[in-house]
Amino acid sequence: MTRRGRLAAALLAAACVSLAAAGPASAADSPKSKLQALEPGAPPPWTPGYQPLDKDEKGLWMEADEAERTVKASNFVVHDEALNAYIRSVLCRTVGDDRCHAARIYVIRTPFMNASMAPNGMMQVWTGLLLRVRDEAQLAAVLGHEFGHFEHRDTLRQFRDLKSKTGAMAWLSFLPYGVGLIAQFAVIGGAFEYSRDMERDADIEGLRFMTRGGYSPRAAPTVWTQFRAEQDATAVARQQKSRKDKNGGFFATHPNSAERVQYLTHAAQGIPNPPTRFGETEYRAAMANWWAPLIDDQVKLNDFGGTEFLLSSLARDNWTAELLYARGELYRSRGAPGDFDKAAGFYRQALDQGSTLPELRRGLGLALIRAGHPEDGRKALKDYLAMKPDAVDAKMMAMLAGGE
Amino acid sequence: MKKTRLAAIAAAALVAAPVAAANWAVMAPNQPAAVAGSTMTVTPRTPWNRATHKIGPKAEAWTQDGFTLNELDFMAGIGPGEALVKERNKKDKPLPKFSATMTPPDIVQMFEATDRILLNTSLFEIDKVEPAKLGSRDGFRFEYHYVVQDDEVRRKGEARAAVVGGKLYMINYSAPAIHYYDTGIDEVRAIMDGARL
Repeated sequence: MTRRGRLAAALLAAACVSLAAAGPASAADSPKSKLQALEPGAPPPWTPGYQPLDKDEKGLWMEADEAERTVKASNFVVHDEALNAYIRSVLCRTVGDDRCHAARIYVIRTPFMNASMAPNGMMQVWTGLLLRVRDEAQLAAVLGHEFGHFEHRDTLRQFRDLKSKTGAMAWLSFLPYGVGLIAQFAVIGGAFEYSRDMERDADIEGLRFMTRGGYSPRAAPTVWTQFRAEQDATAVARQQKSRKDKNGGFFATHPNSAERVQYLTHAAQGIPNPPTRFGETEYRAAMANWWAPLIDDQVKLNDFGGTEFLLSSLARDNWTAELLYARGELYRSRGAPGDFDKAAGFYRQALDQGSTLPELRRGLGLALIRAGHPEDGRKALKDYLAMKPDAVDAKMMAMLAGGE
Repeated sequence: MKKTRLAAIAAAALVAAPVAAANWAVMAPNQPAAVAGSTMTVTPRTPWNRATHKIGPKAEAWTQDGFTLNELDFMAGIGPGEALVKERNKKDKPLPKFSATMTPPDIVQMFEATDRILLNTSLFEIDKVEPAKLGSRDGFRFEYHYVVQDDEVRRKGEARAAVVGGKLYMINYSAPAIHYYDTGIDEVRAIMDGARL
């Protein structure tokens, strides 16, 4: 640990990134830690020209500004203008034009499912989230949730609560908004949390926002039912118990995902004349150029069950050549008995659809060689080389194909 | 926490057990040294530092200026069903395993997945794969580049590998693309050329 130090690491456990299903415990769960209300009459933080009101908030903003400078320069920021504009349009539709200008959105290339919004307006949307939401309404639910934390100034409230317990020491690096947090997030396996009450409030606020923006509130609980199903799929393939209900011990601040599904479903059902827009077609169109690289990121995580689940939910009943290719790569990289034949089958189905992706031949060749059909495999590799003579692995493939 | 490649594992160990992990052994120049508890020997031209904390049951890491500036990994005698390096989180982040029937591209793919998982990065690309020798053994070499979160330094890497008797032997070098990679690569290639196994 370099920059943040040991105390900061401990505080991280109770801080902010907020979407993940399970997270470390914070004292905020205990009855004695009722969070302070904010100053009555304080303007909402999205008010144009809003400035932090006191030294606590100023300190948090300073830290968030510093984190944002790092994020802005990060190699992991996705600069695709169309994608950024699309996400912004969904946010604006969700929270309204008067509010959304306060957010500066950064799309971060990382395969885990998360989003966050810092008190200064920096919003991070991770590509692992974009791979997992199925439509615009689900994205709206998450963006609305994060904006809810921002609007309620939850970081400040949480910070004051912590400070009252830990004293001035808490000033040391509180905010976990750097890109580097991703590493720690992944290591710990959870996220850094607001209190349960804040999470529930933000969920309900998100539901309110999305409904007002014209999105079906039914999409909100679906985000969580999907995530639970993915966790089940991961566990089954790894022959483990599912982590979906893991919500105790060190990882305990979020309402667990089952609880979230329950109260979000209940709240959604209570909305009279709810809008019906899901925006699945629009979402798929906006993501068109990104499926392949994001699926590739996922395939390389060595999570067979979760990835197979994601591919199947992306496909529904329509396995495109792109998805078949990814499925072939997934089976080929697992390499369990029968996987190479299955992989070859997926590549062939994609070729039958008329796809000209050279990598289909590459995958097919490698799968066939390992499935015990070296002749057919070599032929497929020769086809690959003919289509892509300058491939980075051309010389290696030429040797495998029979040496030229 | 600054991390490079496989030394990320050693770094994790440093946090947990700083005293135990902070030991180094100097690898003297022009002296053949057996690596990773195997029969593979290499002969450096200049002094290197071997971290006494191994990065895997059959893997060790060397550096000259610290792992953030150059890292030379030896993975030797990896058998079927074994990962390249120690699995720190078998349950949630299992690493891909070697199989004796893997083709060179499969091994490169396993290496890439291992690094992506260990380093939590999606910015990792293979730049070249081609036949080459590891010492006198037929094998292959590959080049790659990557960035690690919270570090943001663009790094390059080059590895040489061969499967001998159904076991995998690999030497891997990585360093920042600016200055350090170029400074070290000639000696590293000589080490790879001169490996005996």
